[in-house]
Amino acid sequence: MVGRVIGTDDATPLEFWVGVAPGCYLQLDDVVALERVLPSGDTVRIYGLVTQVRARQEGARFDSDVFLIAEGLLPAEVSEAALVQATRFEPEIFVPPRPGEPVRRAAGAERDQALFFDAMERRLPAGLSRDDEPLYINLEFLDGTRGAHVNISGISGVATKTTYATFLLYSVFSSGVLGAEAVNTKALIFNVKGEDLLFLDHPNIDLSDDQAARYAKAGLPVGAFGSVEVFAPPRRGDPSVRPDVASRTEGVTSFFWTLEEFCRGELLPFLFADAEDDRQQYTMVVFNVTARLADATPTGDGGVSVEGVPCRTFVDLVDAIAANVLSEDPLVADRWAGRAIGGGTVNAFIRRLYGAVPHVRDLVRGDVARPDRHTVRFEQQLTVVDLHNLNDRAKRFVVGVVLRKAFREKEQSGSARPLQFVLLDELNKYAPREGTSPIKEILLDVAERGRSLGIILLGAQQTASEVERRIVANSAIRVVGRLDAAEAGRGEYGFLPQVQRQRATILKPGTMLLNQPELPIPVVCQFPFPAWATRHREAGANPKATASVPSDPFEGLPT
Amino acid sequence: MRFAVETWSPEYGAPADDTALAAASPDVDLTAEAAPADWGPRRPGPAAAVPKVICFVDGVRRVDARVWVTPDDGVARQGICASYGAGVVRCDGAAELREVAVGRGLFCPVAGAEAIVTGHGRYRPHPVASEDPDALSLALQGGMADLEHRVSEAAGAGAGGDCELLVLDGPLRQRHRLPGAVGYVKTHQRSYLPEPLVGVVSALGDGERTPVFLIGGRWSRWSWYLRLPGERAHGWSGIVRCEASVDVPASAVTALADRVTLALPRFASAPHKDARAPQNLYPIAGLERELRHRLGDPLLLLRGLRKSAAAALRAPTTVPAL
Repeated sequence: MVGRVIGTDDATPLEFWVGVAPGCYLQLDDVVALERVLPSGDTVRIYGLVTQVRARQEGARFDSDVFLIAEGLLPAEVSEAALVQATRFEPEIFVPPRPGEPVRRAAGAERDQALFFDAMERRLPAGLSRDDEPLYINLEFLDGTRGAHVNISGISGVATKTTYATFLLYSVFSSGVLGAEAVNTKALIFNVKGEDLLFLDHPNIDLSDDQAARYAKAGLPVGAFGSVEVFAPPRRGDPSVRPDVASRTEGVTSFFWTLEEFCRGELLPFLFADAEDDRQQYTMVVFNVTARLADATPTGDGGVSVEGVPCRTFVDLVDAIAANVLSEDPLVADRWAGRAIGGGTVNAFIRRLYGAVPHVRDLVRGDVARPDRHTVRFEQQLTVVDLHNLNDRAKRFVVGVVLRKAFREKEQSGSARPLQFVLLDELNKYAPREGTSPIKEILLDVAERGRSLGIILLGAQQTASEVERRIVANSAIRVVGRLDAAEAGRGEYGFLPQVQRQRATILKPGTMLLNQPELPIPVVCQFPFPAWATRHREAGANPKATASVPSDPFEGLPT
Repeated sequence: MRFAVETWSPEYGAPADDTALAAASPDVDLTAEAAPADWGPRRPGPAAAVPKVICFVDGVRRVDARVWVTPDDGVARQGICASYGAGVVRCDGAAELREVAVGRGLFCPVAGAEAIVTGHGRYRPHPVASEDPDALSLALQGGMADLEHRVSEAAGAGAGGDCELLVLDGPLRQRHRLPGAVGYVKTHQRSYLPEPLVGVVSALGDGERTPVFLIGGRWSRWSWYLRLPGERAHGWSGIVRCEASVDVPASAVTALADRVTLALPRFASAPHKDARAPQNLYPIAGLERELRHRLGDPLLLLRGLRKSAAAALRAPTTVPAL
């Protein structure tokens, strides 16, 4: 016994205080259990989590009494009490525990019951509790059976959002919870900051032995991701389109879209942040031009011919569009810009289009031989698309186009399994609360239909309050790292009890609050130091370093 | 046995308190330490040492209900159901609560009265000679004094313990049996000193005492006044009177008085913390609060008694145990 339910504060079925017995202690996040016998003779087992602990001097009435007590002038007794939030009633008879009932620490099978782990048929290791006991997520709430998507909030830098998201992915792939399906399950990761996620296939040389041991406690093997393909944008102005990464030299493929793909795939709207905003006049021009471009004639090597004008670069294409939209010939102008479109509207379109040129010119081109080698494919288990060197506009373009490709492929496959995970940080940039854009529409599609299609979004953002509500609301699993104090008070974090909101402002890196539908309150979750490198300094040997010399030493040079 | 609980709240009709019980005109011997002509404030000499272990003993009592007890002879007699408690605080660098005991008693002039059992406690019978309220109150005080004696001994405060000074809250009275015990009187119902010597009390500085004098009467005892540190609004502020049993030899009593005068000032309370500052010492105030708390909730106990009385009425001969 570690204490008894106290009678000086109300005990309710949701929360109650436990007086800690002399010589014992309870700390935050401890799991406790107790029983109550009903008049019928049935026993109700009540489980809970300690969310607050207080200590006070009984017998002291004034703050300064503490000095009298310390000097031995006033008798007093120190009492400790722990606030327990009930997690589970077995059977579900929601009666309050009676004051005086003995409370015990729950361990082993009892702890699993308290946290509903015993009822999870397929449980995904989600980390460790602070006393290094495993914590699980019910896979049914991640794989679309009963829910899908994970949403992670937290301050940049200290909240370790992306690291936790990659840990979850690692757990999905290596815990065995997916069975044979794990082999074909894929993940698409967008690397938005630094080159952190480019080393997922490298072992982490900074991983200490005791951190490695924590993987075993969580029920996971130690290792890096096995099958990773990294795509990075090409260097600016580099005719041989080498990938624009500084720290990783091998095993990175540069990506871009050919002009043909751009026209056929109707990618133009992705260049405009508010292309689907009906209040904007120029969006009509965007869709007209997109339709015209779909008719452009491919030249066979990635380029296109627009109204007979051959285009090999993005600048050529934009010039050709401008020439047609602003054509002296009213017939041509009407066909491209649309009927009865004012000059100001056309100019607004042209201005924005030219504004995009410097950021996108290396990503959309028709001047590289064998462009098929630079297409983002989802062949490996993990596809990392690096965005960190791109300007915001280009980032949105790439994320939008790649996401649409993933979404369409999944839609066409007609089967939810194997699952496709998508990890995207800075959701507030791609799906802001206000306004609409093509990429936000896709993310909303993923959030609302992804569950049935088998696309699982692992979204992260600094502030959930700035992200489209429907995306956050559709996430079954919510995770919170260190939060800004003002942010922690917002309604988006209603799932956090008051005490946990306060705790969220002091969480250390590597500690998260994990909320899942079955548990009425979030649990504090830690995860071990990544076993894969999260930066160049930590990276061990490059598994792709054995790649042999290309058969054609001149390949990649401009033709 | 049947009994009925007086519907009036027990606070009404409370008997005379300690004042009425004190002897009418004490006879005082002022020459015990110094001749009246040599009286003046005294500061403990260098030979006196501050006691390292001090025990404070206090008791509390409360009338839970006034009852009318009807034994088998059919004549109803008045009595009280009371809760009383006693405890010890041992101060040896840390103030620690020791040996808290609570008793409940039925004080009534009925021989062979049965205990009253309620859902919250058992009131043991204490036969009293008369149903005079003063006699009942004295009997209750006696029960409390017994309890104080017991807890003091249990806490090692009596002979053989390591306690160097035993301070009992209130006048010594029948508690003089505890060896080396010092009574600590906070209120001054009357002056024991003749007019010219009262000025010595007003002239006392912080931590000074008057010479020891002997008070005769039913419980004859040594006594002296001392002043505790604190704001001095009038000549008697911060003054307390201490008592020691006459069993203490005259040769030892001045040394005892010196030790007490050295020991007590540090326990004096501050006015914002205690309504009876500085006389109500911190350990005693803390102990008293705890004891009152341990007596239990008065309304709950009164309700328990009423329930038992009603049950006894329904079954006139025996009181069922609840």
